[in-house]
Amino acid sequence: MKIIADYDRCEGHGLCADQAPDVFDLDDEGDLVHHFDDQDVPSALEDAALRAVDSCPVAALRRG
Amino acid sequence: MSPSDVLVVGGSTAGATAMRELRRRGFDGSLTLLDPEDGTNRPPLSKAVLADPGRESGVLMDHSPLDVRHVRSRAVSLEPQRRRVVDADGRQHSYGALLVATGGRARRLAAPGQGGELVLRTIEDARRLREALVDATSVAVVGAGFLGLEVATTAVEAGARVHVVDPDPPLVRLLGTHLAGVLVRRTTDLGITFVRSSARLHGDPVSGVELDDGTVLHVDAVVTCAGDVPDVGWLAGTALHDEAGILVDPTARTTIEGVWAAGDVARTAHGGSARRRPFWANAVTQGRVAAASILDQEIDASIVDHYFWTEIAGTSLKAVGALPCDGEPEVLEETEAGALLAWGEQAVVALGLKRSVPALRRLLGERRGGA
Repeated sequence: MKIIADYDRCEGHGLCADQAPDVFDLDDEGDLVHHFDDQDVPSALEDAALRAVDSCPVAALRRG
Repeated sequence: MSPSDVLVVGGSTAGATAMRELRRRGFDGSLTLLDPEDGTNRPPLSKAVLADPGRESGVLMDHSPLDVRHVRSRAVSLEPQRRRVVDADGRQHSYGALLVATGGRARRLAAPGQGGELVLRTIEDARRLREALVDATSVAVVGAGFLGLEVATTAVEAGARVHVVDPDPPLVRLLGTHLAGVLVRRTTDLGITFVRSSARLHGDPVSGVELDDGTVLHVDAVVTCAGDVPDVGWLAGTALHDEAGILVDPTARTTIEGVWAAGDVARTAHGGSARRRPFWANAVTQGRVAAASILDQEIDASIVDHYFWTEIAGTSLKAVGALPCDGEPEVLEETEAGALLAWGEQAVVALGLKRSVPALRRLLGERRGGA
């Protein structure tokens, strides 16, 4: 399963990093870092990653 | 004991979060959603979607991965003794547990039959408003809250002359004087005019607003941004029928056995008053609390989540903690772009600065003497 991030839409709320810290992070500038950009999220992290998708207030994350 | 079947009425943020959380927590019973529409992720509607139709994707929710039976109809009555809900097509839906997440609808000022008033609550509203703003050279926004000023920003950026009408000073009740002052200044700099008056819609179809002194502001478009009304009409005849919202306890339970409520329709007792807090973060946390509570599992979230954000006149505001903030803030950091502000242990606010919610929460936690 891939999670696609729309970087233009991201406003840096960072709620995804709260839900799935092993998948998403924010850098020092407050910009989104997606550790599995363009690759499958490890199955052990899928549940957290989907929670992160749900938690995005601007719909910048979606299931690929 | 957890129920074998759950009925969710309303599939937007609160309902959808609860459904996903039920499945995530291992609920494998039958899950039914009663909602005439697809769920809507509302925050982008007043911001990106209003300015750009290309930003509509992702606003409507996809419930298909959840193994949920979606019945596209509206709930019209609840029979709590029989534990069932009747829909607009006459079907009866029995439930083991019921989650009421019907949200609210935009408050309108138009008299019955008076056409042309614009509001912003649904994706249809956003489309109508976007189209109206294309041709409008003058716009009146009734209501100087967050939504009103977000809409006013979009309208002025689209080239219209914009008046915002409200009897109360803009944003103060919601944010306190300092933050309201900063945002209102920036809004005024954009050319938006504030009018302190109540407003009556003028004409049919609406072609302006009549002010307290009898003058009429003639405009191409009138947008009412006067809050929302909880959607409780279908609960008439039950103990839950309360125009102020359905009262829930910290576990999202209502006063009726087997019925929970979450999101904009719900009213929570918190910080001394029981009122609705119809903001996105509360819909999410209440959906999560309700799911855990329905399954009789440990509740690991608070019924109120003090996270709020807006973007007005090109300035973003992210707040963690309770609003409004009275008095002057402590300036924790200041750059050309904006400032990081704190009001004691009450709230931390990033104004014009990019700060993540976890970072703001950590900061507030530290100020409160936590880890």
